[in-house]
Amino acid sequence: MKKHWSYRLSVFAFLLPGLILFVGILIAPIIMSVFYSLNDFKAISGSDMTFVGLRNYVELFSRQLANEKGTLFANVNYMGDALVNALVLGALSVFIQLPLALIIALKLSKGIRGERAYLSIYFMPVLISTVIIGQLWMNIYEPDGLLNAALGALGVRDQVFTWITSHIHSTKMPFKGGWTGYKETALIAAFVPILWQYIGYHMLLMYAGIKGVPADLLEAAQLDGCTEGQVNRHIVIPYIKPILKVCVIFAVTGSLKSFDLIYTLMKDTRRAELPSTLMYKLTFLNNRYGLGSAIAVVLIVLCFAFALLISLAFRDRGEKVA
Amino acid sequence: MKKFVAMLLAAMMLLSMTSAFAEAEKTTLTMWCIATESDANRPAYEKAIAEFEEAHPDIEIKWEAFENQSYKTKIKTAMSDPSTLPDIFFTWAGAFCGDFAEQGNVYCLNDAYKGFADQLPEVMMQNASYGENGDHYAVPLTMNIVTLFANMDLLAQAGWDHVPTTYDDLIACCDALVAAGITPFGCAGSETWCVTEYLEPMIEKTIGYEALNAIFAGKATWNDEAIAKAVDAFQEMIVKGYFDPDGLTLGNDQVKANFIAGKYAFYQNGSWNCGEINDAEGNFQVALFPVMDTEKATYGQVIGGPSDSLAVAATSKNPELAAQAAFELGRAICHYGYLAGSGLPAWTPDYDTSAVKPLVADVAKIVAESEGMVLFGDTAMSADPANIYLNYVSQVYGCEIDGAQFVDGLTNTLQ
Amino acid sequence: MKVGKKKASLILVHLLLLVLVVINLFPLYWMLTFSLKDNDEIFGGYLKDDTGAIIYDASGEKIPVARNMIGLPRTWRWSNYTKALNTGNMGRYFLNSLIVSASAIIITLMAAFMATYAMTRLVWKGRKMMNKFFMLGLTIPIHAALVPVFLILSRLKLLDTYTALIVPYAAFSLSMGILISAGFMGDIPYDLDEAAFLDGCTEWGIFGRVILPLMMPATATVGIYTFLQCWNELLFATIFVSKGEYVTLPVGVKQLVGQHTTDWGPVGAALAIATIPTMIVYVLLSRKIQEGFIAGAVKG
Repeated sequence: MKKHWSYRLSVFAFLLPGLILFVGILIAPIIMSVFYSLNDFKAISGSDMTFVGLRNYVELFSRQLANEKGTLFANVNYMGDALVNALVLGALSVFIQLPLALIIALKLSKGIRGERAYLSIYFMPVLISTVIIGQLWMNIYEPDGLLNAALGALGVRDQVFTWITSHIHSTKMPFKGGWTGYKETALIAAFVPILWQYIGYHMLLMYAGIKGVPADLLEAAQLDGCTEGQVNRHIVIPYIKPILKVCVIFAVTGSLKSFDLIYTLMKDTRRAELPSTLMYKLTFLNNRYGLGSAIAVVLIVLCFAFALLISLAFRDRGEKVA
Repeated sequence: MKKFVAMLLAAMMLLSMTSAFAEAEKTTLTMWCIATESDANRPAYEKAIAEFEEAHPDIEIKWEAFENQSYKTKIKTAMSDPSTLPDIFFTWAGAFCGDFAEQGNVYCLNDAYKGFADQLPEVMMQNASYGENGDHYAVPLTMNIVTLFANMDLLAQAGWDHVPTTYDDLIACCDALVAAGITPFGCAGSETWCVTEYLEPMIEKTIGYEALNAIFAGKATWNDEAIAKAVDAFQEMIVKGYFDPDGLTLGNDQVKANFIAGKYAFYQNGSWNCGEINDAEGNFQVALFPVMDTEKATYGQVIGGPSDSLAVAATSKNPELAAQAAFELGRAICHYGYLAGSGLPAWTPDYDTSAVKPLVADVAKIVAESEGMVLFGDTAMSADPANIYLNYVSQVYGCEIDGAQFVDGLTNTLQ
Repeated sequence: MKVGKKKASLILVHLLLLVLVVINLFPLYWMLTFSLKDNDEIFGGYLKDDTGAIIYDASGEKIPVARNMIGLPRTWRWSNYTKALNTGNMGRYFLNSLIVSASAIIITLMAAFMATYAMTRLVWKGRKMMNKFFMLGLTIPIHAALVPVFLILSRLKLLDTYTALIVPYAAFSLSMGILISAGFMGDIPYDLDEAAFLDGCTEWGIFGRVILPLMMPATATVGIYTFLQCWNELLFATIFVSKGEYVTLPVGVKQLVGQHTTDWGPVGAALAIATIPTMIVYVLLSRKIQEGFIAGAVKG
């Protein structure tokens, strides 16, 4: 009996450091966030906290402000825009970045010459600080920057500008090369480096998975006269499904919480707002701590929901195939 | 893990205690400010502090400078635990300091002010005076207004030998500039406060300073068709190509550098730029934006006022001493800042002002003759409305919304 | 015929891969070249000396400089690097990032190994639930805890310390650490535990003498994932630390760049200074780093 008790104690002791960290810095703050999101306060100490129920959530999706009588006034839907942007980023990530990473991983894992060198170079951007990548791309997008210079050198500058002008709806102003100054171009300008930086990350994950496909499976398929494409489609990709699932989850949740690059790339993030940049602004510029916490809660819920949905999607299809 | 945190905690407490007891004989006053090494005001702070310590050998000023943007977060968050505040801290007047005063974290300066009232006009204390009695909470350093800088060489190329003083003249001048292949204005769209430097004077010169003051103070709504007209006039200038289209994505440093390099004929921004523009190569003059509605506004109405200030923490162990120091430091920083051209004096100069740079002297004259003042909108309003307002201003510069939408949105949101 | 076709397609594949190599390396190359130029060379202008004064030729004319945006610098202006080093404190930022990342990695490793041991090698009710509980952390965005963590740190007077970053970073790396550790620990035969138990070892003895030494390969993998999480983190680093002496690299670079906004040379130099050491380490250890990373993918 005594041994049993001490055994439990040591189980607890082994878990303790992890639990302290996890509960103290993740779980407790999330519970606090939920609580904060139901209150309105502009002093960070919370000394002027007043309970407002779900009003912060209502305000978030309509950016409605209440006057003293509690009447709400509708305005712009900041959070809606930010969420749409994040979902577009997630979709681009899943449907462009991941397939590209998969194609590269498939090619590289076939034992091509210089495999290692290619791998190393493709993974490199992952290690460079996002701040540096953001600054670098800022210089690319500057009115005097590399992109406009390149368009000029190719002699298509004016045509490109006219084409973009005719496709911009957020403003009547003609496009003059300020890539981060127009809603439509700012969004694309922000997404390109984000997608670029993490291709290598996903590629390496998939590469690892493909290398783990048993050789006899591949040989058997080749003996059956399967082409490379058939092998990939019927053996490799189904085999690495668990890794693809992880990649899709990372890509979607990563898009929802993306912050660093846009924050570095633009002094004013308004034109390419994502939930986390909006949260930063509402919290630390507008002093709306309750409203910022509401974004945090929405983000957590969405991240969980997407992780769950993606897992379900992968499981369903897996079962049908089997 | 627990042990590690505990040890770290203990080590840090020890460290902070030893540093607190290290210099017991001298009274130490701590101060936070934003005069980092790259800041134009740095020399003024250094001189003022050295002067103060010489005059008070028993007091030591321990000061730290933080980068502007991160300081805003730093000071707001320090308010969550006032015991972490220094004795003296830099603040902007208006609602920024008002929020802190409302939380009870700022020491009231009414008593200390009595000793300086003859050198510091009470009107200069107004922007940091709150409550029913208008209690004073911060010491102004310099004051600044929005001014229209003009490159006279470029104006001459378009056939103008003076800065236009009426709106029609300004438009005619801009047309002449555009015809001569010169971009009239530069404005940094990536920093929205730079856009307000254009928009606020235009609104003021349309509806008059009293009306704009009432709006910023929350006593009147934005619901005024004249404001929509002012916004539309601003956008008309943009659409007509008076503004450098690159400005939309540039920062203020770049736009200012472009103006100094002769890329734009005009640059409308704070008077703190006077020293730098004065010292640059070229023929520059300073003026105000012309009147747009002569029935409601006059030329002498300006945007600006004293904003950069020093305040004393309510938790200071030596609040009276800190208050005294804040006034003396404020006076000296104002003195050296004025001479360097990084601002105009909020304090009445009691020193030789013949060395003041010509451009700065011109602005000082404009201020002396001013017929009404409106504090910068983002300083006058508290954080949430100020940032909502900035968001709308940014949309105006990008021509994403027109005047009517601007007025509509702000009226409904900032009820 | 068939061989030729195969060869042609192989060349095509290499060509495409090389295009990707260029896309990946070009921004770095460009950063290095513009870090050694001045604005006049990048945008076209007039020849100037290091102090920025215009150089005149014998006849008193300005010497025009042709625009050279992407070529190698004509004059290698190392003074940009001195400028960048003089305004910021890159060495300090680097050290801070190193201290913060290394401490976070050590804490993550310890906590993750211990928790994993308790959940995979010790038998008790609810260990599966506990594991699921920890896995919740995989999807929680770090930013969501911003305000509360900030308040907790401010109450504990931990703002503006290394701890303010180390503890949150470790906490947010923990779930991934446990996930990877579980994969590695699952490969250690259970017979070893039993043998050690029969020799009289306690749980702590088994953990310390049997498991830990065999978990060494996992340290590299967990370390790499944690490093990727901590080294570049910007939001917490911006808000929890404002004193210069604790500022980490991303924040330091951002501030430094802010002071030279119009001068591309020193900006490029600052970026290069912040990037080069990481790149050197990566080039030296790229095989190890990739293997560690890959191991994480397979075990996780």
